[in-house]
Amino acid sequence: MRETFGRSANLSRRSLLKAGSGAAAGALLPSALPTNPAAAATPGTLVVAAPATPQSLDSNFDVSLGTFEAVAALYDNLLEFKKIPDPKVPGAFREDIADHPDKPGGVNVQGKLAESFELDPNGTWIRFQLRKGVKSNWGNELTAEDVKWTWDRKFGLKAIGGFYLSTLGLEKPEGVKVEGPYTVSINLDHPNPLLVKLQPNLYAPIYDSKKCKEVATADDPWARHFIENNSAGFGPYRLDQLQRGQQAVFKARPDYYLGKPAMDTVIFREVPTSATRAALLQGGAVDIAQYLQPLEIVRLRNQQGVKIDSVDASFMIWLELNSKIAPFDNVKVRQAMNFAFPQEQVLKTVFQGLGEPLHGCMPNIYAGYTDKFWTYNYDPERARALLKDAGFPSGFKTSLAYNAGDPVQEPIAILYQTALRAIGVDLQLKKVPAATFYDAVSQRKQPMIFYVDSPWCPDVGYSMTLYFNSQSFIDYSNYKNDEVDRLLRDTARTADQAARLEMMTKAQQIVMSEAPWVFIAFPGYHFAHRAGLEGFTYYTSNNIRFQDFHRAA
Amino acid sequence: MIPVAVSGDRAASPWLRRLRFLAAVLRARPAFALGYAIVIGVILIALLAPWIVPYGPMVADPNVYLLPPGPRHLLGTDGTGMDILSRVLSAPRVDLTIAVLGTLISAGIGSCIGAIVGYYEGERTWRRAVSTAVMRAADVLQAFPVFVFAIALVAVFGQSLHSIIIAIAFVNTPIYLRLMRTQVLAIRRYRYIEAAYVAGASDLSILARHVIPNAIAPALAQLSVNIGWAILLTAGLSFVGAGVVAPTPEWGSMIAMGFQNVVTGQWWPSVFPGIALGLTVFGFALVGASVEVLADPVRRRVLSGTLG
Repeated sequence: MRETFGRSANLSRRSLLKAGSGAAAGALLPSALPTNPAAAATPGTLVVAAPATPQSLDSNFDVSLGTFEAVAALYDNLLEFKKIPDPKVPGAFREDIADHPDKPGGVNVQGKLAESFELDPNGTWIRFQLRKGVKSNWGNELTAEDVKWTWDRKFGLKAIGGFYLSTLGLEKPEGVKVEGPYTVSINLDHPNPLLVKLQPNLYAPIYDSKKCKEVATADDPWARHFIENNSAGFGPYRLDQLQRGQQAVFKARPDYYLGKPAMDTVIFREVPTSATRAALLQGGAVDIAQYLQPLEIVRLRNQQGVKIDSVDASFMIWLELNSKIAPFDNVKVRQAMNFAFPQEQVLKTVFQGLGEPLHGCMPNIYAGYTDKFWTYNYDPERARALLKDAGFPSGFKTSLAYNAGDPVQEPIAILYQTALRAIGVDLQLKKVPAATFYDAVSQRKQPMIFYVDSPWCPDVGYSMTLYFNSQSFIDYSNYKNDEVDRLLRDTARTADQAARLEMMTKAQQIVMSEAPWVFIAFPGYHFAHRAGLEGFTYYTSNNIRFQDFHRAA
Repeated sequence: MIPVAVSGDRAASPWLRRLRFLAAVLRARPAFALGYAIVIGVILIALLAPWIVPYGPMVADPNVYLLPPGPRHLLGTDGTGMDILSRVLSAPRVDLTIAVLGTLISAGIGSCIGAIVGYYEGERTWRRAVSTAVMRAADVLQAFPVFVFAIALVAVFGQSLHSIIIAIAFVNTPIYLRLMRTQVLAIRRYRYIEAAYVAGASDLSILARHVIPNAIAPALAQLSVNIGWAILLTAGLSFVGAGVVAPTPEWGSMIAMGFQNVVTGQWWPSVFPGIALGLTVFGFALVGASVEVLADPVRRRVLSGTLG
């Protein structure tokens, strides 16, 4: 199969945006002139109030919030999902992540750095033809060597890159072959269904290997130090300034191969308190306020000059029930914990009705999701009976760790504590500082701990493997079921999508009945911005990309 | 019968005199009266809280979340539906316990060490080296910002009531140490100390019977002020998440849980505990000020003069 992409559509949209932004200048200035120095004073400047600036710019190591935005601005991938209008929010877009059996790899993708690709129908190799004349922010032209070096870096440094290698089943660096100056292929020993789907992943960008090799040293052959603090990519922006804890500034690249983005300068300000971010947005001092609390979103919805785009998202929030710590090693206790969870009330109060109930164990926007195995509607009597069957007629004592940095977790924990008291379970709450929370999660030593996550790759096998494969590094509930492990392994080794879906339905059935989580909610993605800022696109990595935005004419 | 009556009269009269004096002082300085009223009120609330609160202070009822103050919930409810009045009234049990225990421990330890250090300072023995070392250690302790130091201590000992009490005791100890040392430095030169020494009393008994009782007044005056500070520190620690475990009713943690809602218009979850906290600290400060006046013979005499 062969897929070739044109670039005219993109270019014409860019030129339209430019025209639009110019026209917007006069209209916006009077009302948007803010008192804050970090303000959206000029139409070409985008000011974002974010909870944190990037810790590091290296996607191989850092998963902090600001890093996502930075990587998306500084780097480009070989492929991207085609965009479609969001069915819920007029004017917003989202990736077309539906199954497309008629297309190569079953996905609707288009070229970014790759002009075209060929895919083995069995899913053992993929060959990319790169665009010619694409320049990095250091002026170096994109070649097949850059793609090769990018994959070699994953082999060299392991970490997050290592996860991608194992997901693809790419066992040795020789699997990535340079077949010509602009031709490169990935070759696997076994068929893999994700050869195409994984390419648009936010953390699969291509590096400018020439620059990286220039700055590499004997101690640092993969330019870690440089990439942590700077960029060498083919993305639409370059880093102008990074003051951690204060702000990052990005400048649009005039020589970007898809045309210079409409937003010339992006100021990414760190504003740790969500109430302050909301106030800044309301006052017009910023264009975008990220990660607001449900109450703030509800209130801002009615404010003039502010717009909230609420779209379905891959985010999920749940409690890990540690299957290796008593009494959660008992399936009945885990089921009882779900029957005792006041899901509906939590959604109504804590989430202000903004989310949807988590009735499954993977994102409901991904093909293959099913909620037909959901049985845990709030039923304290049933919970009590299950505890009795499990040998805890008078309940037990346990603890729940939550993230001090996530304002929704404490109220959920308090509501759950009250609900559990009714069935005799004494729940102690443990507040864990945001800085050490992910250590607490990954150590897997808490009986119960909150977790918020989203599988970026919109695939049923990928999602299920992340959380329920006993070998997965983020199987934080220590869940292990041999049948589920077998189904996940088989799903990862076939490109037959119908068979994969069947296997994953079975896996979902087992997981839902064994309840390794307390299922809470799909919180959704709520993009809060000044009215007049257009182009918002939802990505499964739940981050914004500055290059999408322009001001309304 | 008669001698008994006479002795009873004699015993009562100084008490009466003291009470009359106190009443006169409170009339002359109504602020002091306000301070005592607040402190006594807070202590009474702390003692009686379980019987006077209308709802369980740790019971979340999602059906009534974020209700504004009204007839059913006089001070409203918070984001999880807990009654704010019940929580505000239950909080002094935690806040006062931490503050009083923390302050008493620091006063006890600080005063004893301060007395010993002051008593031996200037001697040309190993004890002097120890005194110097203790004072420099106190300097180091005091050089740290109190709050940051307390957070570090809670991080080390884990998040519990004990840890916060230890943290408060630790950061306050140098205050009493210095206060006591300064007093003892002056007192030890007095003749009656020399007399006790010549009479063959041991250092320990001189310290316990003659030095400490005469030097303790400023430390006592400091107690009340310090309890106020300790309440603030406890609230501060809870506010940043290093204090009591949620959802324990505690003013600082209540303010922290509700402060984000102020922007969205729900001011009551954090404003009411804030007022309670402010009032209490104010009350203890006034009591501290009154103790300072009453414990100082000169100022007390001046005050008596004005009372006429």
